[in-house]
Order: sequence, then structure tokens, then C-alpha cells
Amino acid sequence: MSEKILNKDKWSDFVSNVASSKQVWTMTGDDTVTFTPCAEAEEAPGKVLNATVPPKNVVFPQTETLFRFMFGQLEAELPEEAQEAVVLGLRPCDARAMNIVDDLFSWDEEDTYYQDKRQKTTLVGLACNEPGINCFCTSLEGSPASTEGLDVIMADLGEKYYLQAITDKGDKLLADVSGQLEDASDNDKKAFQELAEAAEGKIKRGIDASGIPEGLPNLWEHELWQKVSEACLGCGACTYLCPTCHCFDIQDELEGFKGRRCRMWDSCMYGEYTLHASGHNPRPTRRERTRNRINHKYNYYVEKFDKIACVGCGRCINQCPVNIDILNILSKVKEAL
Amino acid sequence: MIDLDKLRNTAAETVSRDDVKHLVGWKKGTFGYRVAPCVIENAEEAESLVFSPLCAANLATYITLPEKLPVPKGEQPDDRKTALMVKGCDSRAVVQMLVEQGIDRDQVVIIGCSCQGVVDLQKVEEKFPEPLDTVEAEWKEDKIVFKLPDGEEEVARDEVLADNCLICRYPNPVIADVSLGSEVEPAKDGEDSSVKEIEDLSLDDRWEFWEKEFSNCIRCYSCRNVCPMCYCDDCVMDRLNPAWIYRSVNYSENTVFNLSRAFHLVGRCVDCGECERVCPMGLPLGKLNRKLAREVREKYEYEPGLDPEEKPFQASYRPDDQEDFIL
Repeated sequence: MSEKILNKDKWSDFVSNVASSKQVWTMTGDDTVTFTPCAEAEEAPGKVLNATVPPKNVVFPQTETLFRFMFGQLEAELPEEAQEAVVLGLRPCDARAMNIVDDLFSWDEEDTYYQDKRQKTTLVGLACNEPGINCFCTSLEGSPASTEGLDVIMADLGEKYYLQAITDKGDKLLADVSGQLEDASDNDKKAFQELAEAAEGKIKRGIDASGIPEGLPNLWEHELWQKVSEACLGCGACTYLCPTCHCFDIQDELEGFKGRRCRMWDSCMYGEYTLHASGHNPRPTRRERTRNRINHKYNYYVEKFDKIACVGCGRCINQCPVNIDILNILSKVKEAL
Repeated sequence: MIDLDKLRNTAAETVSRDDVKHLVGWKKGTFGYRVAPCVIENAEEAESLVFSPLCAANLATYITLPEKLPVPKGEQPDDRKTALMVKGCDSRAVVQMLVEQGIDRDQVVIIGCSCQGVVDLQKVEEKFPEPLDTVEAEWKEDKIVFKLPDGEEEVARDEVLADNCLICRYPNPVIADVSLGSEVEPAKDGEDSSVKEIEDLSLDDRWEFWEKEFSNCIRCYSCRNVCPMCYCDDCVMDRLNPAWIYRSVNYSENTVFNLSRAFHLVGRCVDCGECERVCPMGLPLGKLNRKLAREVREKYEYEPGLDPEEKPFQASYRPDDQEDFIL
């Protein structure tokens, strides 16, 4: 697999070069950062720790048209096929998250909407040199320079980036846009490995997840759920900003005689999420909803796909308005086991 | 400044009362500058309570937040009171709920805490990046002291206070069963100058400003859920049939959502700043609410959340209301 060097002053040329044949998604925004398509980028990535909203929207848009229809007509109009896309500068945790969610979208049926975009997307990750205070990827088989799910990994070596292709898809991308790239030396590779090792040592928080998936079913009625959910506002910030949360709702939206069926992100923290047509709600309070959020990530998903559906990106901890801290919940779970 | 021992003793006494179910207060968070709302049920737990410039959460929300489950046959509903600690703005939210008859006065025990303003975490983080260790903070004259892992740091209050606190007109609780702390002077200038800045923009520029902001909304409903005045059992945003507002996240639906909420808060918003604080996407929702609150104050001489005997704004027609601005 090829190993290349990209000087930072050539970043914008590099982005334009990639964007000439593919849709490019990069982090944009000042205070709140999101991944958005762009034709050119002025700033090289790495300034912010991570995007506020994870790049799951590239393959799983918050609102997605499944088909359009017209009253009185039997034929539905399908949306256009996805374009080839490249996500530049996503963090390794978010790429791991996509790998985890892939299983769900190809489980009983191939989800063609998701898979079409996923297969056409190349992920160029940026290793973390300075993890945040609530990053805990190392507790969940990840690391600041994990290559899992990535096609290319980049590392910030100061004035330049080191790029290493991980998959054939990544190799092809680097070959296609070789204009701005130079060959990497052994020293560059060594510098990357040293940075990766140093970054791993900077992770401060964590949890030993062993025993949690098997233990959770026994804690179903434990009093801890009441305690950890009492401050919860029942908003969707933790789930919408989670790179592995993938729940969606499907609704029809009408405009005159035209309509579209679309799917949109949904959140298990909403009361309406499990509300039955009868008025009965099997998860009537925030206690059950919080319990479900933890169980889905650390129990149900493990049972079904043998993977914990959490990558330790820390977004839910950082963004919760009332300091509901998943590591705090998990340590209470460990205590109760 | 409120003496913490006094606060904890008051809380312990209150929560020990037979007619009190639990007390809602603030406790130390799990890291950095965070403070978490907490529900305590006995006197021992009162030891964990804190009150500091980090206690931004408006606890009035927790009066109506708990879901009401059906009472099993043969059992009596638990109608004991909820005790809660309130700052000036929180107390106004309680009063406004009383005005709207959303709650009964004998449902709550109010512990009033005079407040010298809470911090905006973003402003603090620009000065001192958030450490992993829990940081304590306290008011000291016109400064705020942060007890960081590397030592204490003092900052002028005005540099780190939340925008709504800089213009706070009611720092002292307007209703309380027990009052703690000495009286705090209201802000000298109670107007938000940034609202004027937007008003002064051309129509096109204003449109562009809000289009950009509303486009960023991810509709997580943090603003709605944290808002003490958003306490409807059945929110119009959750209705599917008819769906008044589509769940699609796009500029058009987001605008309808945010403007509907702003208009539902006309003459009701107490400017606690919570919507703005919790928004993960940083939407300046306070500007919208402050603009409407100012219209109500100037045009109708009405300020919500001050007098429990007052009529709700939209039910308070007065023959001498100004008419000169009506088309």
C-alpha cells in the first residue's frame, strides 16, 4: 500500500483535485463543526478535535428521500443514485463507527440506500495527536490512530501530512490524485508511529468494558437507572450526535398532490419513539429510555453483531446539557455487576 | 455569595419534611466545569448540593418534567411536594407556571438563591481550556474565581457571564418559601444590544442571518425540553396526524419549528438562557426571545413571571393598550 506526503500549503490544491472527480466532505464551521460537501477548502484539517455532528450523515443523511409519488399514479420516482464521495479528515473513531453500523444496514436485508452511498464513499481519516478530555476510544478496541474502517489514514506531522493507504480503494484514491503528493520516507512513517503512540498515552478516561454486555440483563430493574436518568431532559442531543446511533423513522410528507416517503433520524430518548397507537408506551419514562440507550450499545448490539456500538468519541459526554456521562453510568453498571 | 452549609442545612430540613417528596438542586459534575441537576430524597444527600456560577441549569423545568404514570388500582397518587432551588430567572419560570395554572402553589417548596450570574462555558473555555478534573467556582465581588487544577484564577464577572446574565433584571428570586443569600443588584442596562444589531440590518441581511442559523438546527429538541415554559404534555412538534411540522430537517421546517417555539414563548419567556446554553449547534435563540420579550414589555408594559396573581399576557386585554403600532 502506498505511503505519501502532502505538504500543508498544498492542501487546498489537493482538495480541489479530489473534488474534480468526487464529492468531497470536510469539516466546516467555526463554533459548531459539521461535515458538509465542499468544492474547495482553505484550511487544512486538524484545528478542531472533532466535528460536533459526526460524519454519519454522509452515508445516512438526517433526512433522506426514499421515493417520490403523486396521488393517482402508481409509479414511484426513485431518488438519484449516490455520487462517488470522499470524506476528508474524519477521526478514526468515526470511521470505526461506520464499520460498526455497516453490519446493521446489511443484516436481514441489504439497505440499498445506505450501502450504495457507503460503497461509493472513501474515508480519509486524520489520526488524533491531541485527544480530548472525554475521549475513551482505547477502552473500546480503538485508538487515536486506528485504521479500522478507513481507506487512508493521515497524520499531522507539523508542516506536512503523512498519508498511508489502508485499502485498495484508498490506494486508488492516492494514485488518482498524485499531483500534490510525494513519496514518504521511513522517517515519516516512524514519526507517525511515534505520534500515534504518544497520543494513546494522552487518553485519560476509560472503562474496562469486560463483563458489561453479559451483566446488563441482570441489572434490568436495578435502582441505578433511576439515579442516572433523573436529570435527563429527554432531548436527542446524545443520540443525534452519536456516530453509531442509527435509528430512523419513516414518514410521508405531502405537498398538494405530490409527496415523498422519507426516513429521518429518530432518537430513543424521545417519549414518542416507542409510543404505540393505542396510547401505551413500553418505555414510559426517561429511566427506561436511558436504560435502553446503554443496553442497545453495550448489550443488544453485542448480542446481535458481536460488537459494542460505542467508539468512545465522547460526544454524548461533552454535549449533554445536564452532564449525563456515559462513563459514569458504565462505572455504576460495573459496580452493580 | 450563599453560605454552602446554610444551603445544605436548609435543603436537608426541607427534604426531611413529610410533605416533601424530593428536592431538586445542583451537584458537582463528573468533569471540568460541569454541574449536574440532581434529585435528592434524604438529608444525607443534601451534603452533595452546590451553588456556584456554574449552576446554569434552570431547575424549574424539573417540576413538570417527570412523566405521570397511571396509578395502579388501589393505590393513591403520590401528591407530596417537589422542593427546588431557584435562581432569579428560575423563580420567574415558577411564577409564570403559576400564572398559567400549569402547577399549583402547594405543589412546590421554593428555596430562593440570589444569583450573581452564571457563566457561559464557551467564554470560560476560551480563557481556561476545560480540564478533566472537576473545577469549582465562586463569586467574589465583581469577579469569578475558578479553582483549576493548576491553581486559582480570577476573572472579571462580565468577561465570562452568560449573555442573559449580563442584562439580568431579576437576579433575586421573585417568589420563595426560604430565601438564601443577600440581595443582588440588577444589571444597569437590561437590554441586549445584539438584538438591536440585528434589527439594524437590512431585511435581506436579517433573512440571511436567520437562514444560516436555522439551517444548522438538527432538531434534537434540547431547547424545547430544557425550556421551563415548554411543559405541554402533548407537543405539536410530536404530532404525526396531522403533522403540523414535518420532521424533515431542512431550512424550511427548521424555521417553522424555531419560530413557532419563539411565538409560543411571547409574553412567557423568562430569559433564563437555557435554550441558548443547551443548543449543541449554537443557535442564538436568546436573541429571538429577547426581541419578542422587549416588544411585549414596551408595547404592552407586560413582563412575565413576576406576579402569580397576574393574568397571562395573551389573556390580558386592557382597554388602554397602545394601538399606534397596529396596522
